[in-house]
Amino acid sequence: MSSRKDELSDRPEASAVSRRDFLKSTGVGGLAAAAAGASEVEAQTGPRAVGPGAVPVTLTVNGKRIDLQIEPRVTLLDALRNHANLTGNKRVCDRGSCGACTMIVDGRPVYSCSTLAIDVQGRQVRTVEGLAGDAGAMNPVQQAFCDADALMCGFCTPGFIVAATALLERTPNPTPEQIRRGLDGNICRCGTFVRIMEATVAAAAKGVRRV
Amino acid sequence: MSEQNAGRGAAPQPPPPIPTPDPRYAWPEKPVLLGTKVKRLDGPDKVTGRARYTYDINRPGMIYGRIVRSPYPHAKITSIDVTAAGKAPGVKAVLAWKDPGAEVVYQGDPVAAVAADTEDRARDAARLVRVRYEPLPHVSSEAQAMAAGAPKWHSAQENTSPGAQQETGDLAAGFQQAAHVVEATYSTHVITHVCLETHGTVCEWDGDRLTAWVTTQGVHQCAEGFARALDIPQSNVRVITQFMGGGFGSKFAPDAQGLICARLAKTANAPVKLMLDRKEEHLDTGNRPSAFAQVRAGVAGDGRLTAFDGRSWGTGGAGAVSNFPLPYLYQFPNRRRAHTNVYINAGQQRAMRAPGHPQGCFLTEILMDELADRVKMDPVEFRIRNAPPQAPNQMWIEYFTRGARQFGWEKRHPTGDPSAGPIKTGMGVSAHLWGGGGRGSHAHVDITSDGSVTVKCGTQDIGTGTRTIVTVVAAETLGLPVSAVKAEIGDTNYPLSGGSGGSTTAASVSPAIRIASINARDALFARIAPVLGTTAGDLVAEDGRIHVKTDPGKGLAWKDACKHLGPESISVDGEWAAGLSSSGTSGVQFAEVTVDVETGVVRIKRILAMQDCGLIVDRLTAESQVYGGVIAAINFALFEDRLLDRVTGQMVNPNMEWYLLAGMSDIPQIDVVLNNMPERGVIGIGEPPTVSTASAIANAVRNATGVTIRSLPLHPHKVLAAIEEQRAGGTA
Repeated sequence: MSSRKDELSDRPEASAVSRRDFLKSTGVGGLAAAAAGASEVEAQTGPRAVGPGAVPVTLTVNGKRIDLQIEPRVTLLDALRNHANLTGNKRVCDRGSCGACTMIVDGRPVYSCSTLAIDVQGRQVRTVEGLAGDAGAMNPVQQAFCDADALMCGFCTPGFIVAATALLERTPNPTPEQIRRGLDGNICRCGTFVRIMEATVAAAAKGVRRV
Repeated sequence: MSEQNAGRGAAPQPPPPIPTPDPRYAWPEKPVLLGTKVKRLDGPDKVTGRARYTYDINRPGMIYGRIVRSPYPHAKITSIDVTAAGKAPGVKAVLAWKDPGAEVVYQGDPVAAVAADTEDRARDAARLVRVRYEPLPHVSSEAQAMAAGAPKWHSAQENTSPGAQQETGDLAAGFQQAAHVVEATYSTHVITHVCLETHGTVCEWDGDRLTAWVTTQGVHQCAEGFARALDIPQSNVRVITQFMGGGFGSKFAPDAQGLICARLAKTANAPVKLMLDRKEEHLDTGNRPSAFAQVRAGVAGDGRLTAFDGRSWGTGGAGAVSNFPLPYLYQFPNRRRAHTNVYINAGQQRAMRAPGHPQGCFLTEILMDELADRVKMDPVEFRIRNAPPQAPNQMWIEYFTRGARQFGWEKRHPTGDPSAGPIKTGMGVSAHLWGGGGRGSHAHVDITSDGSVTVKCGTQDIGTGTRTIVTVVAAETLGLPVSAVKAEIGDTNYPLSGGSGGSTTAASVSPAIRIASINARDALFARIAPVLGTTAGDLVAEDGRIHVKTDPGKGLAWKDACKHLGPESISVDGEWAAGLSSSGTSGVQFAEVTVDVETGVVRIKRILAMQDCGLIVDRLTAESQVYGGVIAAINFALFEDRLLDRVTGQMVNPNMEWYLLAGMSDIPQIDVVLNNMPERGVIGIGEPPTVSTASAIANAVRNATGVTIRSLPLHPHKVLAAIEEQRAGGTA
């Protein structure tokens, strides 16, 4: 339901800035503004015009530097999917309502379909590909989703995995209500919600170490 | 694929006799893996992002396609000019898909297409395609289309056509026997499939050979579709679907976007990715048709149904039919039904998870509760009295009884929660049936000298767990752990298997895998028997070993046995045969809801789903199917609704924020009871669990509020309006 978007700002892990506020702000300064405060950023850099042609963009994704030559209008999601072959996170609604594109930027979950790539330069971006540990071991959320069959077609799964990981990193012992609210920004069409709840509870019990 | 089910199902049939399988192939009496909870084998690929869906295929030199679509619900194209688009930066191909003079008959009808080096540039170029239209009057609702003097949805076609017409028994006599008659009109709405992975294709040519990655429910069906439409040999077409992000009945053919993609790729001489965006997905990839029925039904004083007379209609959009079974499931000895297909200027319907059944079920099940109240009978008791007799494919009477006990049905109050306060609680029940069944599917098994086992089958995993059940059946048959078997599916290079529709996949594929694996096992036994100094008939394969049945010590570990194959590995085929699967499932669902009579908001507290599925292959994925079906139906009942503006013919909510779908906070407690019936063989259950949930919810809302809402979805404004109408003295 659309009403759940209003609940995001109440999420316990979103103390400083909610995903909703973040999305509102992306058009005028992006994550830098959201994370550091808009006035602070503008005082440092002032508005600058780039594009419309391709410009150099440097991203830090899953701890690795990625140099791209892309138009400033390219979203974080499309930059990684179409220009860096990082296709784990999915494009589903492409307008910030379904959560399949959820990535973690500086510790906070964001809708990468509604975030410009140029706005997350200098930030730490984590995609679903970056959650597994050394030697490809799944993180507790990923393992719990497999154990509980918390996925079917799997197209929403990366977004849920990232959102649940972000939730548990910030709220290690969530109540069921906190889990519901933390994942209410994601939609599954196959109907795996019952088991996503089971899996998230199980992952919380094992503990998700904040990276 | 399951369209043929849509018009049937009104009167359940006794189970077809299950042919005795060749005893060689019979399912094991004491299975090790079958029926247990086996984790989805591609889970790790999906949770880590390694799984590559069609949307994720990136080929060297790949460019992006974009379709130009009609903004009008009905218009005549006077000209199409792609010149400017062809000169735009990065553009490699343009094409006109329709000819000047052609009619477009719905918003989103494809007209032209472009391909460019980036997605954004393809979008820019698409905006430069100049199409001139002569707008024509349109019809955007069933009522508009059926009105006298209405404009026609297509200049050369009528707005209606006769659908199913059935009459059984003596209607007049039936109504004479009735002590009570209910007369009312019931309806359900149009919803779209909302596959999270939108429809689309990546097409790559090598000379006159086409490789197409397609998000499809039928790789072989798609290959046939490409070959026919492109006029190339089918042997030149390879279709690949390794992972697929939801179809629900809407993804069987290449469709316009697949053929456009192939043509753009040919013109550009480069691989093209063409994935639809969310708006296109809502407009042009199918939907569940609406259903209306004006019904008159009679019940005798003892609670037996006597007569049903229904005039039904519905729309499947621009030129597609809208049939559904009516009356549903229950035994009306005298009945008549006449259906009319209504056409409007909107995207065509496609099969959607149990096509026709959720509509027919809702229209009948709400009526059932109204009739039960007239004879002052409990809805469960009333249904038991009028359900078809108990049979292996008709377990309703048992499920009503068991389910009522488990659900706490005895706590249900009569219609209308008498408690004070605005939050009213109620319970409802409904039943469903489905056909399903297996059919020709082929498989191939290779066993090589290193002990590896590869099973190949040209089926596809649409999220139901097909890859896992292929592996489970082969591993069970060969006495191996699932980790020792590799399943290769989702590719037309593998043996022919049908489309994943009509809940037929598990029942088609499992027997083929069983038979191919038995053939492979027996071929291996024949090679190993001389080594062990015995005959093939005395060998068994279990616990990762091949040994003499009567002397388990005399044998070899699987890998050691396979070493004796040398370069001449085992390579055998198998084909589906009758006896290992059957068709016909039944289920009953219970719902408990609360309704806030001040806001009209319905919340679901609990659902209980009783479901049979023959022999359970993987209990974990089978249960997931039921959860998924129930949740899909919660969306149908409470949230989703394709809204067309009747003035402009435009879809008002072609997105995912105003096209409402349930999230975590909307999900109730759901309890699933799976009835394992191994003697029936494998039966698919992708569809049946989604049929009766919405009706059970609607009956629970009626029980809570004392108000009958005869149309879906149960949006708050409709609930409030119904309550207001009752207060104003209208009929409840």
